[in-house]
Amino acid sequence: MAGFLARRLAGMAAVLLAISLLTFLIFQVIPGGDPAVRMAGRLATPQQVQDVRHAWGFDRPVYDQYLTTMEKVLNGSVVSYSQQINVEEEILRSLPPTLSLAVGAGVIWLFFGVLFGVLSAITAGRFVDRSLTVVALVGVSTPAFFLGALLLYYLGYRLELLPLGGYVHLTSDPWGWFTHMLMPWLALSVAFIGVYARVLRSSVLDTMGEDYVRTAHAKGLSERRVLVRHVLRNSMIPIVTLWGLDFAAVVGGGAIVIESVFDLHGVGQYAAESIARLDVPPVLVVTLLVACAVVVLGAVVDILYAALDPRIRLAR
Amino acid sequence: MTKRSRPSGLLSLLLAGVLAAALTLGLSACGSSSNSSSGSATNASDTGGVTASSPTVTVLMGTAPDSLDPALGVSTQSYEATWLAYTGLVTYAHASGAAGAQLIPGLATSLPTISADGKTYTFVLRKGLLYANGEAVKASDFAYTLERAIKLGWGNKQFLTGHIVGAEAFDAGKAHSISGIAANDATGGITVKLTAPFGPFLNVLAFPAAGLVPASTPMKPLPNNPPAGVGPYTIVHVVPNQSFGMAGNPHWASEAISGIPGGHTNIDVNIVTNNQSSAEQVLNNTADVFDWNDTVPGTLLPRVHSQAASRYAQEPTVSTEFFFLNTQAKPFSSQLAREAVNYALDRRALSRLDGGQLTPACYLLPIGMPGHPNGPCPYGDPNEPVTAANFAKAKELITQSGMAGTSVNVWSESHPPHKEYADYYASVLNSIGLKATVKIVAAAQYPATIGNIKNVNPQTGWIAFSQDFPNPVDFYQLLDAESISPTENHNLSQVNDPHIQSELAALSPVPSSKLNSVVPKWQALDEYTAQKAYIAVLGYDDVPKFTSERINFGALVFHPVYGNDWSTLQLK
Amino acid sequence: MTPLRPGMRSPPATKGPPPAGRGPWRLAWRRLARSRATLAFGGLFLAVVVLCLLAPVYAHDIAHTGPNDNHITETVKVGGKTLEVVSPTGVPIGPTWHSRFFLGADANGRDVAVRLLYGGRNSLEIGAIATLITMLLAVLIGTSAGYFRGVTDGVLSRLLDVIWAFPPILLGVALGVALAVGGLDLGVVKLHSGSLLLPALIVGVVFVPYVARPLRGQVLSLRRREFVDAARVQGRGHLRILAEEILPNLTSTIVVFIPLMLANAILLEAGLSYLGAGVQDPNPSWGTMLAEGIRLTPGAIHLVLAPGLMLVVAVLGVNVFGDGLRDALDPRAGQRAIAMRLPRPTTAGAAVEEA
Repeated sequence: MAGFLARRLAGMAAVLLAISLLTFLIFQVIPGGDPAVRMAGRLATPQQVQDVRHAWGFDRPVYDQYLTTMEKVLNGSVVSYSQQINVEEEILRSLPPTLSLAVGAGVIWLFFGVLFGVLSAITAGRFVDRSLTVVALVGVSTPAFFLGALLLYYLGYRLELLPLGGYVHLTSDPWGWFTHMLMPWLALSVAFIGVYARVLRSSVLDTMGEDYVRTAHAKGLSERRVLVRHVLRNSMIPIVTLWGLDFAAVVGGGAIVIESVFDLHGVGQYAAESIARLDVPPVLVVTLLVACAVVVLGAVVDILYAALDPRIRLAR
Repeated sequence: MTKRSRPSGLLSLLLAGVLAAALTLGLSACGSSSNSSSGSATNASDTGGVTASSPTVTVLMGTAPDSLDPALGVSTQSYEATWLAYTGLVTYAHASGAAGAQLIPGLATSLPTISADGKTYTFVLRKGLLYANGEAVKASDFAYTLERAIKLGWGNKQFLTGHIVGAEAFDAGKAHSISGIAANDATGGITVKLTAPFGPFLNVLAFPAAGLVPASTPMKPLPNNPPAGVGPYTIVHVVPNQSFGMAGNPHWASEAISGIPGGHTNIDVNIVTNNQSSAEQVLNNTADVFDWNDTVPGTLLPRVHSQAASRYAQEPTVSTEFFFLNTQAKPFSSQLAREAVNYALDRRALSRLDGGQLTPACYLLPIGMPGHPNGPCPYGDPNEPVTAANFAKAKELITQSGMAGTSVNVWSESHPPHKEYADYYASVLNSIGLKATVKIVAAAQYPATIGNIKNVNPQTGWIAFSQDFPNPVDFYQLLDAESISPTENHNLSQVNDPHIQSELAALSPVPSSKLNSVVPKWQALDEYTAQKAYIAVLGYDDVPKFTSERINFGALVFHPVYGNDWSTLQLK
Repeated sequence: MTPLRPGMRSPPATKGPPPAGRGPWRLAWRRLARSRATLAFGGLFLAVVVLCLLAPVYAHDIAHTGPNDNHITETVKVGGKTLEVVSPTGVPIGPTWHSRFFLGADANGRDVAVRLLYGGRNSLEIGAIATLITMLLAVLIGTSAGYFRGVTDGVLSRLLDVIWAFPPILLGVALGVALAVGGLDLGVVKLHSGSLLLPALIVGVVFVPYVARPLRGQVLSLRRREFVDAARVQGRGHLRILAEEILPNLTSTIVVFIPLMLANAILLEAGLSYLGAGVQDPNPSWGTMLAEGIRLTPGAIHLVLAPGLMLVVAVLGVNVFGDGLRDALDPRAGQRAIAMRLPRPTTAGAAVEEA
């Protein structure tokens, strides 16, 4: 186990290192992406651009710039090129909307995913199952930003039921917070509900065929008790781990598109705007944040699986 | 893999570091997840204030100011706030239209005396001034303010380094101070020496970046906690990219400078990226001011006109949108081909792409800029459809020029409607016999891309220019041969015309205060430019002045340089 | 993770018995033929493809305008009334249900119906090429990693980890922006900036780990089987063993993955285009059309609905067909712990294997 963990940590570090390098290099080769030109301002003379380049170290070798930037990322002093604002502070400020989005949507998609999945499984092959399958597949086939745009138009603009995007702090106006978050939650959840319902359906059907479930039935336990106690409990393992991964990804700014559509000013939108400004430091930090969440939770999921399912063993 | 290639010391350090950082970030994310409600709520400030009990109005802004530190901000959104908090030795009159373009004394007792050679400006600082933080204003703070702007890399610093004696040496680190500025704290006398006469120099000193800050201000960017200044307002509660406030300067009342209103309300500025949403809020009176830099969606305009006609107006801005035509590359090296473009463009189509907020035109100098020609356009009325005759003429000109079939890359940035402009423009070029391809670049990389003659040398493309100050010299930097540079080119048409050069040499030293005497010469020069078809002008931008019912719409000044003048905001 | 990722569903990863003639395939085909829904949705997708391929015919003979022709200041007669294609405040006309501007116009006064079909061609083309790239790379990487193991596996798995952990939208947008001006110069291949191959390449690469990892797992267990040992004992080379023994056993997995990847590729392309890193102007795609439509809502909801619904119909067709295909190829899929093989590749190389 210790060896596994050590290998795992080394692997994670290598992946993060590679991602940080890759991000940095992509922005290095962008034509016209020289930050000095933008920072030197309108109608700047070549000399001024050169001065900015020198002052910010853009004229130094790439590896040198990379190391300097990473050092600043690590000690929390990295600032954005475009606004010269501390990136990590800005990300912390962007967290409330992103967390609101992730928590609310996460609860919704988990609840409905499980509900539809179980319903589908216990009515397998019948009308309810087929209808739910269609609903799930439509959800999976719909881009979240298309759904978001439709919600905004019909619920926000036409019916004037909900606000047209933006974020209100939970502490200052709980009801306003709720109404502002409702559409983003829905738009983000639908695709996940589709996936979770499909996964849970298979998982439940699978578990129903297991020996211990048959034993439980044979013992004369009620249908309902078997379902809840034995089947559901075991079928939930993949769902919960999956949820952890998806949740982490959304918190890390994975919901870029939804945040942009609903103007939530979260981590994802910050990342999207920073890319638009070709502002490397924020993009680098957000990318590392997401990658880290994905990598760490991926490891946790693997370990959990190994612990929960005796058929899986950790590799040498 | 990790086993085989042993990381070097440096690498392993990095590995550990990356991991540590990632974990810290991950943890901090997880840590905060427990208190998702802990938002930093920004509310109306009642810190002192215009008066302690002044009402608060809400301004919705689509794009956050680039920086609220006056030494860094160059965006119009930034100026909109900072010019009320950082008054320079001179400033603009708080009035609409041409009156607002007039310079008035700010912290100086009067407009400066200018030496006969036009190179020495002498000011006298008012006595007894205090910064918002209570510190006394000293004459020497002026030099520090400019030095700070230069050191921190203010985006327009070339207006300082290019003209003040010793400023360039200071910028390059060859001097500890700007040798061309002398100040006497006892008398309040300030002298500025220029390397050569520069007409708009007083306009330069009216920038908020030249608005005095105390010499005790740290020599580092302060975007979240802007330095103290002198002005009716002070900037408070900055949450970058989300909101900030404008509260009254507690020391202003005692020093009230004539011509600068003290303000009536506290101001909350919220950044709302979705223009649709902000426009709805102002229309429904849940917010008070729609920022003039944003666009009221064309789809909403009918409702605005019917429900809010008394509190909506389309204001002209002094800015020009045009397609540059590279005179150094085929096909626009031919004047005939350039004329053809000017004949064939339907400016009304371009205006529609901009939601009707573009006034079709053909001259570089826009309405509101001294020197804007009054005569009709040489290529047909831009407000009318392109006549069949003119369209045929355009095709004929392309044929005559021998450029028919030439490939043209049409450059633009991805930001709407500039991308759509390019699509339309390319279809026009194709219809008159050229072979156009659209090249769209992200807005952030656009200036560097089209400014690169060496590698890109763009043939034609979209560009917009809005005034830095009300002096036509500003616009003519775009056609000045001295602006041509291989990698940071600003004269995108690469015009090197002796007539323009000699006129500029004669006109640029004329001080802004005497601009009226040379208006006919500027008009003649601008007509010459149009006739040579060095560029194809689309038109001039219109912007919305739009408020809630609470606001006294008539009293709100739309300033020709800084837009909505928040110090004139008052409730009915 | 992103709203685009949930589209990923598990393939069966059939590591069933060694190929036994044509039996399983014929069986699968019969099952497929019996599932009317699967065929119907497969047919729906094919219909969309054919429609899009007919774009030039529609443009030339019905709409009488090309996909990039601007008609901003023109007027159109609808039911006796003369209407402006684009209003002076920039609001385009909605659906006329006539041959001209059947689905309305966009901000540039271009015919939406024409652009929808041309855009579909681009979206589908990118989806198809991206899927091809994904499958080729995934089979190459997955089989080599699983078959050769050791260092090869270590390197390749780490490579997959990097692609996987990189937020796909961020990676896609960053690459899209990076390549938008200069294109890509790989020495042998040169892609100019407007090329459709660029977004296809980006989308294709992003999805490689989703396919490569399950394949790798499957190969890992296949190579321990008797028939592979037998082939090795016979002295057959690695390439022959891979081609003759391993690959045939992967076919059903690969076949099942194809519609899944196609659906996801189309969705990701739309997401990238929404963020400005997809198909380059004025070339339409469903994603770029959606993005422009969203900018112009609420005045022009037809600009959102037309490309959006078309996209959903096409992707839904592929997804339902893929679902049925999976069931047909592997009827036990429903009874297996499919989540175990979710296309969320584990992160550190050979960490998890089924015993």
